[in-house]
Amino acid sequence: MTKKLNDEDIEKIKQESDGWKAKYLRALADYQNLEKRVGEQKQEFVRYAAEKLIYELLTVLDTLEKAQEHLNDPGLTLGIKNFKVILEANGLKKIEVLGKKFDPLEMECIEVVGESKKDEVIEELRSGYKLGDKVIRVAQVKVGEKSNIN
Amino acid sequence: MAKIIGIDLGTTNSCVAVMEGGSPKVIHSAEGRNVIPSVVDPIKRIVGDVAKRQMVMHPKSTVFSIKRLMGRKYTDKSVQYDIKWLPYTIKSGRDSMAVVEIDGKMFTPQEISAMILQKIKADAEAYLGEKVTEAVITVPAYFDDSQRQATKQAGEIAGLTVKRILNEPTAAALAYGLDKKHTHTVAVYDLGGGTFDISVLELGEGVYEVKATNGDTHLGGDDFDKAILDYFAEEFKKEHSVDLRKDSQALQRLRDAAEKAKIELSTSLEAEINLPFVTQGKEGPLHLVMKLTRAKLESLVGDLIKKTIDPVAACLKDAKVTKDKIDEIVLVGGMTRMPKVIEIVKEFFGKEPNKSVNPDEVVAVGAAVQAGVLTGEVKDVVLLDVTPLTLGVETLGSVATPLITRNTTVPTSKSEIFSTAADNQTSVEINVLQGERPMAADNKSLGRFILDGIPPASRGVPQVEVMFDIDANGILNVHAKDKATGRSQSIKITGSTGLSKDEVEKMTKEAEAHAADDTAKKEKIETRNKADNMIYVAEKSLKDAGDKVAADIKKEVEEKISALKSILDSGTKEDLESKTKDLSDSLQKIGQAMYQEQQPPPTNDIGTKTDKENGEKKDKTKKDDIQEGEVVS
Repeated sequence: MTKKLNDEDIEKIKQESDGWKAKYLRALADYQNLEKRVGEQKQEFVRYAAEKLIYELLTVLDTLEKAQEHLNDPGLTLGIKNFKVILEANGLKKIEVLGKKFDPLEMECIEVVGESKKDEVIEELRSGYKLGDKVIRVAQVKVGEKSNIN
Repeated sequence: MAKIIGIDLGTTNSCVAVMEGGSPKVIHSAEGRNVIPSVVDPIKRIVGDVAKRQMVMHPKSTVFSIKRLMGRKYTDKSVQYDIKWLPYTIKSGRDSMAVVEIDGKMFTPQEISAMILQKIKADAEAYLGEKVTEAVITVPAYFDDSQRQATKQAGEIAGLTVKRILNEPTAAALAYGLDKKHTHTVAVYDLGGGTFDISVLELGEGVYEVKATNGDTHLGGDDFDKAILDYFAEEFKKEHSVDLRKDSQALQRLRDAAEKAKIELSTSLEAEINLPFVTQGKEGPLHLVMKLTRAKLESLVGDLIKKTIDPVAACLKDAKVTKDKIDEIVLVGGMTRMPKVIEIVKEFFGKEPNKSVNPDEVVAVGAAVQAGVLTGEVKDVVLLDVTPLTLGVETLGSVATPLITRNTTVPTSKSEIFSTAADNQTSVEINVLQGERPMAADNKSLGRFILDGIPPASRGVPQVEVMFDIDANGILNVHAKDKATGRSQSIKITGSTGLSKDEVEKMTKEAEAHAADDTAKKEKIETRNKADNMIYVAEKSLKDAGDKVAADIKKEVEEKISALKSILDSGTKEDLESKTKDLSDSLQKIGQAMYQEQQPPPTNDIGTKTDKENGEKKDKTKKDDIQEGEVVS
């Protein structure tokens, strides 16, 4: 009798300990994954820490460039150039789009216009930029429609 | 242990979440966003933001709102309605089900939804670092069997075993843990990008049952954006006679600005829209500069919000419940961030709605909770408690000094070094406090004990280490140890976290209500402590310097000491501060005088005195670092 009870007890304890082990392993796995992710995020963060600020500065750059189209002021040209040099030194690259084939990974189509090669970018409405290899703002473009013109 | 992911497969946007460490986490897409636009180009097999960007170019092959066709017959009234405005071609397929035709190829809504699910699956796998094969997917409460079946098939095509099809409102209720709170009747108000749903749920046998649902399948955030955009465009037209909606570039910029303004006005009362060089006028470039107040926005979209109220009333009627029988209201969908929407819902039900979970994510979060229940993760999880209130000790001037701040997950421990407040003090009393108020008397004392046998020394010299340790059961052990002698004392407090919810709320509210008064009181005591310390330092300096100080300086310092002493307990904070400064200034003269006395012989031997000076200073900084324990006796 006593022996049987003991076996039951052992079984019960074993089950309990298995349960705890499972929970422990689960917590440990979640923790290890978290650690890995935190490490990756940290690297990512260091790489792209300036991204938010640069992204917001792009609207200012847009305005300056638009103003320049109208004013054509040599001083402003110089100012824009200096501004771009600083942004480029921080890893910003303009996405070249004119005459290229439309690529939705880097561009957003705002309008399609006829009388031009199909899927070819014919006008850039807003420049797109990359920071390192990451697209931080897609270019907004007009794309050709007719497929029979070559 | 493979994870089951929870997916909110939405009409406009989709979202995915997973249980991790016992709580749900939203997985961000490869593009870094918390939601994925439910937009697909089935020919090129591109999904989400990328597909959305080429929508203008390929309106016939870029499919959005596919959920509207899921499991529906071509002849369905709603399909016939949607055909009129959806730009892609809808045809009647096998069993006369609605299908999409692109370049002569037929795609079932299941196949198109599967592409969204595949993208979600890939994003989740990248995040989790393991294969994902199982999912819980949510559907609107009004989906019939055929629509649910189609959703399940979509999952299977994407390589996911659908463990459960869950109602969206139920998922929202699960995300708030309402089932755990045994909330009986719940109303879920879901105003999304393109649809509005209202549902009434009732808890029975531990499961929520949908009692009634209603809504408007063509009312959502997009309508709000359009109302704002039209307002800007009309105003601009009035002023400059140019319609910005006719210029694709200007329209795009205006669209972005309208959405930004809408979002900004959820938190601020006024938004400025600033679009320089928005278009070309007859006399040169035109700029759009406009202000939009929250009040104006509310008048623009007021009718849209009011449109949601009739379905709500109808839904309650169908569910045969009255407003006052609704125990909780849950808000879902990005539009429910708008203060006016919250206000109208609150006004209708006469109750504050639940809105703490991100309304874009709440359905996916609930799906993840359901997935966690299925894996046993939710039940199995060791629920780690948090300390509901801050724990600390009383220090000089009856100030409460926190050691473990509120909402810290237990088990945890923290120690800090304290010191004595008077010369030759041989014992300190440790008064263990709980609460958010800065003054000891306003907090709850959990227990106190005395550590004695501290060797006599100047104030600030002895080092008493106080350690707080809370174990997983919420039992608090407080341990105080004199570092010099190794003497120690401790106290065990059970039930340090065992306050009722009401008590915790009451104490937290009190702390908020008294915040300003309390801070002022605490600052005054800190000023008094500083003054007291300055007197001590001054008296000690005079004693140490002996007759090396000129009589006039000595007299000046003594006078200032007594001036400060006389107002120590009665003076205002400002008086104390200025008198402390006076004394500190005079005190510096002692140092200067002594230093000058040493200067005349221009030798290299500036040893002893300067050392002493430095030593004094070091002592002072050290004292500042050490917080003083309460004086006993």
